[in-house]
Amino acid sequence: MTTDMEISLTGAELAILRHRIEGVNKKMANTVVRTGRSGVLNRARDFSVCILTADCDLLSAAEGLPIHTLCGPDMMARWMLTFHPNLKRGDAFLHNSPYHGNSHAADQVVLVPVFDDEEVHRFTVVVKAHQADIGNSVPTTLHATARDIYEEGAMIFPSVRLQENFKFNEDLIRMCRMRIRVPDQWYGDLLATLGAARIGERELIALGREIGWAKLLSFPAKWFEYSENRMMEALRKMTSGQAEALSIHDAFPGTTADGIEIRASVRVDAEDARVHVDFTGCPDCLPNGLNLTEATSRTAAMVGIFNSIDSSVPKNAGSIRRIMIDLRENAIVGIPHHPTSCSLATTNIADHATNCVQMAIAAISEGSGMAETGYAFSPTTGTISGIDPRNGKPFVNMVFLGHTAGAATGHGDRWLTLLHVGNGGLCNIDGAELTELYHPVVIRERKLVTDSEGAGKFIGASSMLVEYGPVGGDLELVFASDGTDHAPQGVRGGKPGGKADQYIRFPSGELKQLDKVARVILREGDTTVGIACGGGGYGSPFERDPQTVANDVLEKWISRERAEKIYGVAIDADGSVNREKTQTLREAVCK
Amino acid sequence: MRFACDTGGTFTDLVVEDKSGTVHMFKAPTTPHDPVKGVLDALSVAASEFRMDLADMLGQAEIFIHGTTHSINAIITGKTARTAFLTTQGHPDILVIREAGRSEPFNHKVDYPKPYVPRSLTHEVTGRILSDGSVSRPLDEAGLIKTLAALKEQEVEAIGVCLLWSIVNPEHELRVGELIEQHLPGIPYTLSHRLNPSLREYRRASSTCIDASLKPLMTKYMGSLVSRLQTAGFGGKVFVLTSQGGMMDATHLEKMPIHSVNSGPSMAPLGGQFYAERSIGAQTVIVADTGGTTYDVSLVRNGAIPMTRDMWIGEPYLGHMSGFPSVDVRSIGAGGGSIASVDAGGLLHVGPGSAGAVPGPACFMKGGTWPTLTDACLVLGYIDPDYFLGGKMKLDVEAAKQVIMANIAEPLGMSLLEAAWSIVEVATENMVQAIADITVNQGIDPTNAVLVGGGGAAGLNSVFISKRLGCKHLIIPDTGAALSAAGALISDLTSYYQATCFTASDRFDYAQVRSVLEDLDERCETFRKSAGEHVTSAVQTYVEARYESQIWEIEVEIPNGGIVTEADLADAVAQFHKKHDELFAYHDENSVVEFVTWTKRVNCKLRKNDVGRLRYDTDARNDRAVRMAYFPGFGEVESKVFFQQDVPHDQTFSGPLVVETPHTAVIVDPMSTVLQTPEGTLIVTSKK
Repeated sequence: MTTDMEISLTGAELAILRHRIEGVNKKMANTVVRTGRSGVLNRARDFSVCILTADCDLLSAAEGLPIHTLCGPDMMARWMLTFHPNLKRGDAFLHNSPYHGNSHAADQVVLVPVFDDEEVHRFTVVVKAHQADIGNSVPTTLHATARDIYEEGAMIFPSVRLQENFKFNEDLIRMCRMRIRVPDQWYGDLLATLGAARIGERELIALGREIGWAKLLSFPAKWFEYSENRMMEALRKMTSGQAEALSIHDAFPGTTADGIEIRASVRVDAEDARVHVDFTGCPDCLPNGLNLTEATSRTAAMVGIFNSIDSSVPKNAGSIRRIMIDLRENAIVGIPHHPTSCSLATTNIADHATNCVQMAIAAISEGSGMAETGYAFSPTTGTISGIDPRNGKPFVNMVFLGHTAGAATGHGDRWLTLLHVGNGGLCNIDGAELTELYHPVVIRERKLVTDSEGAGKFIGASSMLVEYGPVGGDLELVFASDGTDHAPQGVRGGKPGGKADQYIRFPSGELKQLDKVARVILREGDTTVGIACGGGGYGSPFERDPQTVANDVLEKWISRERAEKIYGVAIDADGSVNREKTQTLREAVCK
Repeated sequence: MRFACDTGGTFTDLVVEDKSGTVHMFKAPTTPHDPVKGVLDALSVAASEFRMDLADMLGQAEIFIHGTTHSINAIITGKTARTAFLTTQGHPDILVIREAGRSEPFNHKVDYPKPYVPRSLTHEVTGRILSDGSVSRPLDEAGLIKTLAALKEQEVEAIGVCLLWSIVNPEHELRVGELIEQHLPGIPYTLSHRLNPSLREYRRASSTCIDASLKPLMTKYMGSLVSRLQTAGFGGKVFVLTSQGGMMDATHLEKMPIHSVNSGPSMAPLGGQFYAERSIGAQTVIVADTGGTTYDVSLVRNGAIPMTRDMWIGEPYLGHMSGFPSVDVRSIGAGGGSIASVDAGGLLHVGPGSAGAVPGPACFMKGGTWPTLTDACLVLGYIDPDYFLGGKMKLDVEAAKQVIMANIAEPLGMSLLEAAWSIVEVATENMVQAIADITVNQGIDPTNAVLVGGGGAAGLNSVFISKRLGCKHLIIPDTGAALSAAGALISDLTSYYQATCFTASDRFDYAQVRSVLEDLDERCETFRKSAGEHVTSAVQTYVEARYESQIWEIEVEIPNGGIVTEADLADAVAQFHKKHDELFAYHDENSVVEFVTWTKRVNCKLRKNDVGRLRYDTDARNDRAVRMAYFPGFGEVESKVFFQQDVPHDQTFSGPLVVETPHTAVIVDPMSTVLQTPEGTLIVTSKK
């Protein structure tokens, strides 16, 4: 960052400015969540906001989705500078190109350059929001079977002018309204996204005026230095070593029958306080929507690392300096070329990549890292569309009716509702009443599945089952469910978590399994039964505290039989631990 | 005579208004094992100051208003009743799944919260009602009777019942209630549609179960309070403060004890709003209450006390949602006891950890070894070591200096005073962020607001908070040290009635809305009658609205009490656009506006006159007329010390100076001025 004058900042001033910048960030996020129109934004909170320096370094991303923010906003801001060298106040750009720093095309980004009182570009604010629709050839933004971007059908905006002098480029708006399903909802979400960026701009300018631009501009370098030091300190606490982890994505259309093998080789150098991730062993890009973008490939590695260390290390351009990532051109975790489809670039393969990193770290350093988290997405988290019989209006929305997926860590049980590793648990689950009010559906059942947890000294999440169907008409459902064949693995002796699954139930009661990747019409009286993946366990179940196991039985997370068989804990009729029998059971296995 | 008594974590505050209208303040230690004792102790302190017999004093009282932390403490310490949850079949995990979400995506060291009612005490009830109120599956009464037998076996002490869509069609819930009375007579229960008829099953279920779990203990507590006050000689009415910023008759509250969860803190905004309005007619008021461990903030706009639907008991995403509207008071871990530390990267932190009352700050000489905000204020000269609590407690300056030097100044390479100032500055910034959250989230610019400082420690850094936010003025009322109890004295008797009725601007259902509002009016009328004959009352009407397919509503007032004509509807829509623009910097004229929840708020005025001034005995004065105080950019400067009662009215004094009472010290820095109004409120104004 270029500053007109270096001003030294004390620890107290640094702390204050950090809060102020995060305060701007929070205010931006609040605007999106409170005013967004689609369920993806206002219920699932599938968006992120961040602030970059004029040099495109990530300064702050409070409350952002992990897979959205760590890498990508920086690349997009650089493309903005390349395509629009003469930026000025009042500009805003629309950007969603997977080939220019974005994640998947449905993540629509608004970039606004922020100018000081001398009209010098000082910051860029970035708001990324997952759209309910982006004009794909089928009504889902997660188009698993698309052979390329043309079949995917998403509109692509490589840093395209959205506003000049604070006025919309109406041509662009008209084009979008003709191609995007439910255009009013899309436009409402665009207003919320742009509103958030403008609020960020307004607040940063106010901050610069209040404390002086010179002081504000001295902050980033100092903050990056502090963050890098914190990162080095965290890495020095780990054990040095090298490990490789393998995670298999289920076979989908366009893949081999065995699925896709994702590998990461991770090297921790505690002394030098660096961590190195090598994804070059991953296969080539595939003719489907599973390929990662460069941004999500890099971010996937970073998420795995930040999940494995002290969470108070700030995530920004400073701490990221200690992370080295090797990518290969045209690899599925790597750098894709146009017109490769990257429709699922924030979830499926990205999750496997992140999981490999945190499992490898668990292997290197006991107590660090995490087991494997569950995968995306059974019909519990699908895209539904149709005509609402109550008002005759078409609707399309992604619903978030139930998810778990949390993996065990080296020091405790899972966070139950993580959704998937790249989300970090920020996503809300739609209430049954809210869903039934908004869409012509009924949720018949929603519950956690007994005995489906990832067993271990520390447990991974149980699976969740959701059964729902249409009311008063047909419902189109699109989903792509990974984790059906390959369960999320445990680490260091931990067991796998529950697998995903999906069915249709007909009015006769007949239950039929659905394909992992499907587009189905549910008629009135039909329901779909989706089972969302659980998460893997950490450490041997035989090391789990027997009293905790007894409580798991009391609370119906697991059955008495499972307690005995998997955990080696015998429970008496009154629910208490039978110490003697437990000891015998556990010793028998150790021998 | 009127009494208002607020039982806090450390002190039980009592504010008494005598016949002449003069106000008196007393404090007694809170007695957690039997909080009613602390109340009676505070009353005894007052009686002895008035040189009266306790029974004589209480005999003259008409009203006793009580704020209590009894229910919140029971929840926090897990001392509530053994409660069962009856839920719709197929949805047993409503309290486990909640609405998902969390605040720190990378922090995997936080345990997933346990449900308010354990899974083992959760039972499903067969029967299903759909969103339109139709019965999709009938209630299985035989199965339910078996379940009730199982609850008896489980020795359940209370039952919460929340069935899907009971808010649209309550027939199943009502029948469950009847069967509970029949099969488990005497076991208290709560039906969700009666307690909290609002959309979103997790919130409704959560409030239902919390309410049920409080019933046994709050029935006992209220009974004890009323009977012991009566035994002591009190013959008037006992009211309890509610989370919603109103008061309820004690016997009424027993039936819905969840309303007492935020009793106490809810009154600070009311007090703050009153004093800000009276002293300078402020419309936008930030009310901050500084305690020993927490800093409670709220925002009053246009005289309206802020309400939230999102009140969490505990941390967001980790605690439990009350599911109930409450006065929107947010707490952060910042106060006099907040601990300062320097991390490995050289960053200074203050709080959220607190030294509490024991061991307390280092200067308390009770074994505290960490520097706290109080220690920093002592070193800076903001607190007089010989006049803490009016001299009742001596403080050790050397101990404060030593811990700040060793733990802060040396690691940061600063002088002692610079380090102490940095502690104040970081604590100030934390408090500012708490305020920024409530102003920012409501789209309010704090520079147009007035800050009211309440709580014993408010005077120490409120001027810096006010300056940092750019507030027009800082206001410190004479009763500020017991702002909640003072708020209670001036509070009205209020109640809210709500109903869900979904309609939209392009298909507005006039008839249905009218019927819903008429029903709410009737309930307001019943409440008004219960308040007594001679009270004046008013009813306000609100609707929560949003743009089509948004899910978060904005509350808009309906000035005429209803929407009867197309012009009324156009007005309401225009109001909504305006408010959306105010909050989020844009509005969308082309979008349909949806209306969801309708509210009537009834207000009964219990008093006609303003509350009078606070008086202390004049022998409570500090002997010291000047002391050295540190201000950044000025260093240590000689600062005048005033006893608040002695400060001439309506005259402006320039800092540096300190205004003291036995309960507070208000610091005015060299760039600010202070003026006392005839009613005893300090107005501090800073140069911009």
